[in-house]
Amino acid sequence: MPSPRSTSALRLLWLDVLAILAWGVLLLRFWLTGRINVLLHPDYVWLAIAAGIALVGLGGVKLMDVVQLTRSRQPLPQVLHINFFPPGWGSALMLAVAIFGLQFTPRAFASQVALERGVTDTLTMTRSQPQSFRANVRTEDKSLVDWVRTLNVYPEPDAYTGQAAKIEGFAIHTAKLPDNYLTLARFVITCCAADTYPVGLPIKLATSRTVYPQDQWFRVEGTMITETVGGMRQLVVQSKSLTKISEPKNPYDS
Amino acid sequence: MVQWNSVLTLFFSLLVEAMPFLLLGVLFSSVLLMFVDERRLIAAVPKNALLAALLGSSIGFLFPVCECGNVPVARRLLVQGASPAMAIGYLLAAPTVNPIVFWATWTAFRDQPELVFLRVGFSLLIAVIVGCVFSTQADLRPLLQPAVARAMPAIRGQTPTQNRADNPGADLLQSGTFMLGKAGAPLRLDGGGMQAAALVSNPMLAKPLPEKLRLMLDNMMQELRELGGILILGAAIASVLQVAIPREAVLSLGQGQITSILAMMVLAWVVSICSTVDSFFALSFASTFTSGSLLAFLVFGPMIDLKNIALLLSVFKGRAIAYIFILAAQLTFVLTLLVNLYVS
Repeated sequence: MPSPRSTSALRLLWLDVLAILAWGVLLLRFWLTGRINVLLHPDYVWLAIAAGIALVGLGGVKLMDVVQLTRSRQPLPQVLHINFFPPGWGSALMLAVAIFGLQFTPRAFASQVALERGVTDTLTMTRSQPQSFRANVRTEDKSLVDWVRTLNVYPEPDAYTGQAAKIEGFAIHTAKLPDNYLTLARFVITCCAADTYPVGLPIKLATSRTVYPQDQWFRVEGTMITETVGGMRQLVVQSKSLTKISEPKNPYDS
Repeated sequence: MVQWNSVLTLFFSLLVEAMPFLLLGVLFSSVLLMFVDERRLIAAVPKNALLAALLGSSIGFLFPVCECGNVPVARRLLVQGASPAMAIGYLLAAPTVNPIVFWATWTAFRDQPELVFLRVGFSLLIAVIVGCVFSTQADLRPLLQPAVARAMPAIRGQTPTQNRADNPGADLLQSGTFMLGKAGAPLRLDGGGMQAAALVSNPMLAKPLPEKLRLMLDNMMQELRELGGILILGAAIASVLQVAIPREAVLSLGQGQITSILAMMVLAWVVSICSTVDSFFALSFASTFTSGSLLAFLVFGPMIDLKNIALLLSVFKGRAIAYIFILAAQLTFVLTLLVNLYVS
């Protein structure tokens, strides 16, 4: 019979292995279900996949070790280590969070977060400033984010009056705009969901905005006009049509 | 309900982004533990305090470990005869000045590359300055924990010169305490010194390869659960702060030239997040805090924080840690304030 001390040491080993395996599975699951796009910039998804595979591998190797140790009566290996947590706490925390993550579905940020963070058609000083800039000949090929970037380079709204626009995003009903306006917004991501920030353009509607619910994704086709709304002279899309679309697989623009 | 989902989405996004870098950091630190002999490196260190501090600060490029892994390494370096300048330089700079942290910071702040380079530059500068300050203390032992001081040299009651004359091979064990003040005194690492050094050197190096690999995996598991736990706590704090604190309050604090720096330094100290992943944490404040304050977080956090004070106490006495803390904090504050005032 193993002594009580070795039983608890063995339990800690199992906890370690399960925590590592659970994290590997969690990373791979976020990838396989496509929800990783809600969490990360597409450029860095491969890092999470690689880490998932490595963790499953490491966990697998250690699992075999622990199974062997459990069956044999060999003394458990003693490794000296400086610990911040009491024994078992680190692994227990990791395991608990991974199990929670396995049944949690991350959702892309929507209007509430956008309103909290402030939707603008400008990139303020403290925003990270993207260096890439796409110039399109056909203005209707410009995405919402392209329009906002163009505006940041040359903010005079009159310069764009009459240009055709076809943009996609989700609807926000901002209090400072009248009832026949909504803001079409998108989140821009640089690295992970923590740094996403919203950008948006006001859309002038033919009817009340209540027809177009908040957080629903739309494709808006129309023409650019200059108007003074919400006390600001700004570029507005005069809509010709609003089409409901489903949330894109990759909800953030970059 | 929506807010709760935002907090959790943020939380998992930070963790999913940080986990690969944590894994990489843990892998390198474990490889280092099993396969690298620091004594050869110490042999090549110049005697000049400035150069030694600079070299010590740069060897993070060879030993890329975060602030949790570097305290044991710094202890081994000290005990094996590294000069105080080198050991302190390494202790303060290695968590930041290394390729993994550079890559992680680049990943997070690729739109503000100046932050990435300033982070490395400031960390080097502060580490070298503090390293040089400590090198003026001829005998570091009064500042070290008794166990470490005892492990250093067996020269109590002897002057260094006597000792070297009596036992030339033991040079290795004395260098950390007195050699910097003596120009031209050679640092010897061969001969009889090795025998004594073996007591404190890396015991893993002597083991056969399969054993080393197995121990390496064990060490990875240990560091992962330890640092993973801290990462989880840090990510939880970051995501709750980001959603729970009213935006106006954060903005008024984060846009002040001085308040923003102080706030981020306190946050860095409290959160104690690992340097391989702290850039992702800082990223969540990138839209509301000044560049200088983000830099303060990235420079100061890895040098000294709540978590590694416990680790530092395994090497230094409280007084020495207070000196390091005050010097590093003041230098970080002044340098990042300059960034706020003149750069950004």
